[in-house]
Formats: sequence, C-alpha cells, structure tokens
Amino acid sequence: MSNKALELDGVFAGYGENPVLKGISFSLEEGRRLAVLGPNGSGKTTLLRVLDGLLDWRGKLKILGKDASGMKREELAKSVAMMSQFSGASLPYTVEETVLMGRYVHMPRGIFAGPGEKDRRAARECIRAAGLSGWENRRVTELSGGQLQRVFLARTLAQEPSVILLDEPTSHLDLKYQTELMDYLKNWGQQPGHTVVGVLHDINLALRLADTFLFIKEGKILAFGGKEILTPHLLDETYGMDVAAYMREAADRMEEIINGKHLSKPL
Amino acid sequence: MKRKNLLRVWIVLVACILALAAGIGIGSVMIFPADILGILGNKLFSLPLPAAVEASEVSIVWSIRFPRCLSAFLAGAALSASGTVMQSILRNPLASSYTLGVSSGASLGAAVVIVAGFTLPLAGALTLPLFGFVFGLGTVLAVIGFASRMDRGLENQTIILTGMVFSLFVNACMTLLSVLHQNYMQQLIRWQMGSFSGNSWEQVGILAVVMAAGVLYLCRFTRQMDMMTFGEEAARTMGVDTKRAKLKLIVAASLLTGTAVCFTGTVGFIDLIAPHVTRRVFGPAHKYVLPVSALFGGAFMVLADTLARTVLAPAELPVGAVTALIGAPFFAWVYFKGRGKA
Repeated sequence: MSNKALELDGVFAGYGENPVLKGISFSLEEGRRLAVLGPNGSGKTTLLRVLDGLLDWRGKLKILGKDASGMKREELAKSVAMMSQFSGASLPYTVEETVLMGRYVHMPRGIFAGPGEKDRRAARECIRAAGLSGWENRRVTELSGGQLQRVFLARTLAQEPSVILLDEPTSHLDLKYQTELMDYLKNWGQQPGHTVVGVLHDINLALRLADTFLFIKEGKILAFGGKEILTPHLLDETYGMDVAAYMREAADRMEEIINGKHLSKPL
Repeated sequence: MKRKNLLRVWIVLVACILALAAGIGIGSVMIFPADILGILGNKLFSLPLPAAVEASEVSIVWSIRFPRCLSAFLAGAALSASGTVMQSILRNPLASSYTLGVSSGASLGAAVVIVAGFTLPLAGALTLPLFGFVFGLGTVLAVIGFASRMDRGLENQTIILTGMVFSLFVNACMTLLSVLHQNYMQQLIRWQMGSFSGNSWEQVGILAVVMAAGVLYLCRFTRQMDMMTFGEEAARTMGVDTKRAKLKLIVAASLLTGTAVCFTGTVGFIDLIAPHVTRRVFGPAHKYVLPVSALFGGAFMVLADTLARTVLAPAELPVGAVTALIGAPFFAWVYFKGRGKA
C-alpha cells in the first residue's frame, strides 16, 4: 500500500465570513498527478492556498501523513512548493540569485552564512531542467512572462519538495512550452515520492499531465477519481455548457486545417 | 560580479573615511588630515602631539567636531539601513519608518518636553531624546498593533494606511500643542529640522551601540528580505514566516530611526535615497544593499552636516534642508548617468 501525500477531511476555508471551500474531503496517494478542474470562482486556487498553508482552514488536513495544523512554515516548505501564476519580479535579481532563493529551507542560517556548493549545484541543475542554461546572469526584470515562468519553475524545483502545486502554470506560455512543461512535470511526478497537484483550465493539458481528476463547483466536490470518471455529463455539469459540442467543433476545425482545406466556418 | 562588488565596497569604505576627514577638518579653523591623525593618536594612544598643533585645535577636533561628525555618520547610517528595510518589506519605494509615524511620534514627545519644560531625574539632558524615542517607537507599535487587529495577515497596504492615519493624528496633536504654546514654536521647529550641533561623546556612544546592534540584527534577515521582494506569498511558499519576519524587521528598523531622530531631529531624505542609489550600483541583493546603504547614508550625512555649518557660517542651516538640497540633484545624476548602459 502506498503512502498518502494528501488527506483532507471536511476542509472549510475562505476569505472573511464566506467560506469558499465547503467541506472538501479526498485523499491522494504519493506518486499521483492530480488535475483540479472547475469553473471560475469554484475554489480551485483556494484549495491550493490551503495546501500551501497560505490560508487558514478548518477541518482535517494531513500532508505526507503529518497533521498540517501547527506545521511550521519551514517544515511545510520542505514538503510542498507552489508555482504561482501571480508571482512577479520587482527588483533586478539575476536568474541564478532568484533560483537560489528556492534553496532557502536547505541553507544554513546566520549573518554570514550563504548558499553552499551543494545549493549552487542544485540551482544549476534546476536552471538546466527549466531550459534556462546560459541565462544565469540575466536580470529577471528583463525577461518575458514565459521566461519568468521558467525561472519560477526552476526555483520551485530547487526547493526539492515532495509535492508541487501549480496554479495555472501555463497562463504565460506558448503552445510549445505549455506541452513541454506538462511533459516535464508528468515525468517529475513519476519519480518515486513525488506528487503533483495542478489547477488547470485546459482539459487537454489536464489530460496530458494528470492521472487523477478532482472536479469542484461552488466549493464542493463534484467528482474525484481516475480517467474513468470523465463523462460528457460531468463536464457539462461542471462548466454549465455543452462541452462535447464545443470539443467536437474544435476537432472539426482542426481536421479541416490538417486536411489543408479553407475553414468553412469563421473562427 | 562578486569581485566587482567587493571592490566597490572598499571604495565606499574609503569614501566614508574621506567624508569624516572632511567633516572634521573643514570649518572656521581648518585642520589637515595629518593633524587630525596626530590628535587622534594623542587621545587614543597617548602619542606626542605634532609640534604645529595648538591646544585650541585639539579641543575643537576632540570635543566638538569628532562627536558631531561621528553622530552624523551614525545617524545617517541608522536612517539609511532602516529605510532600506522598510522599502523592501513594504514593497514600496517611498516607504520609510517615517511613513509609520516614527518622526511624528518623536516630534510630539519632544514637543511635550519643550512645552512642559521638565527634566526627568537621572535622565537630565537626555530627557528630550528619551521622550522623543519613547513616543516615536510607541507610535510605530500602536500602528503595528492596530494594523494586525484590522488585518490578521498584516498586509502592506494596511500597515501603510494605518501608519498614515496615525501620523496625521499625531501631527494634529502636535499642531494643537504648538498653537496653544506659540512662544515655543521657534524651538520646536528648530528641533524638527534637525541639527548635530552640541552632540556629545555620550550620544556618540549610545548611537554607536544601537547602530551596530541594529544593523547586525537586520543583516540576519537579508535573505528573507530578498525573497519578500517577490511578494509575501512567494516568500511564504519558500519557507519564510513573513509575518514574524516583518514584525521583527519593522520594530528593529523603527528602533534605529527612533534613536537617530531623538538625538538629531527628523532629518529626511537620506533614508529615501540611500537604498535606491545603492541598489543602482550594487544590484538588489540585500547582503550588499543593507550594509552599503548604511555606509553611504553615513558619509552623505557627514557631508550634508559639514555643508550645513560652513556654507553660511557663522549661521547654520538645518541639516534636513541640506540633505534634500544636495540629495535631490545627486539622486537625479545617479539615475540619468546610468541610462542607456543598463
């Protein structure tokens, strides 16, 4: 029996008086890649923020088998890392300096302590993995959104977490890098002891990355399970539209492009 | 990159020594660096004085200019280090501990002492600085306490907004006090504009201890400050307990400002530009920016004070005016000089 990466039992969380998550319960084994799907405002990002300890919550939450309430920031950061959609760069640190920040929980503390050879090696490795070799001394304020996203991927990897949380990781990325990132994370998630939880809007990308799916709507779970739970009915219920018709239309257009015909219907 | 920055640190250190030499040497009586060294040797190591040095020069250097320049240096350094920290953790290039009410609080404390005209037993001449300090720090603590009640996450906007509200309130109390006691106005305004005249060795001692302890303490957080510039959530994700770090840093930075302000009045501008200029030259990493902006701010304050007391001698300009008068063009020069080179 494999270990549980995440165990949630009746988790409530929200902002101010109104709970956004209204009793979320599921458990995820280590080695799984979970895609969280749902309409805007359903509580997907709130769920990630709870898992990353950024938001207060009620209920029971265990991370890697340990009770998450009362877990210290540093302890949590050694297990869980989040690659966020909103993190910007305000000052011109170099790519290497930025990635090294991910090593914070592994570094010695003190006035004169700094990153050791091990940290630098780990940072270099993550920079390479994110496809940023040769960019070590570039300033993060001079990078495009997509390049910055890669820096944040490298920084997340440098943290050496067991669980990576992704909040709309592909929002700044072009098609090619979107698929590359998904494939990279899929591969990362297949290493022993690794778990990926991603909030994704694009069902195709979700299918490319994940082996487990969580559908939430209005703060409650609609469905949780493997690929077998994916039905047209569930998708329609989640998004409140005829998803199958939309997909079919997109597929038809693609078919026409592939066959070299002019588009019969305007885009 | 690293080697370059180390070389630059040495250049800044030399500039500090030159600034101090200028501050001590220049005045109605000119004293040359060799003589200053001679007097220093005599006082510290009982070496024989150089033959050309007169007794009056010894007392000018040792009893007046040394304490004055050193307190200017230490106050400038304390203000700049504190400004660096506030700008970084509040993620606002205009923030300083003045934003959180240190100066308004200190001014009110000073006003109370000036108007009431009392001295505390034991404190004696230190009554005014002591009151300034307590009121200044008290205001910041009230701001932080209030802000964390309003907003458990202690967001930056909440802190800045609360700071502004408290500052305005305390300023209003101060205005009220000065209207009711108009005969003390002149004295109050003089104090607020800031001056290093009459600073003694005791004050240098207090400033030096607070400055050294404060800046060393702040240096423990350089890495956390780097991370917090990417936003608090990012820093928390990477393992920084940002709320605790922020509280500790704000209190330490306010302590530095409060100490500087209570001996010198509210000298502005240095805490604003020193971090910006330093970042421009050294890049954003706080392990350089924090100590170097302290050195830079110290040297800048010594030069500003030297100008303040010599330009219209024997009259003395308020040093707060001089820091802004030479600081603003200097700031523009540093920024526009670097244009195009990136």
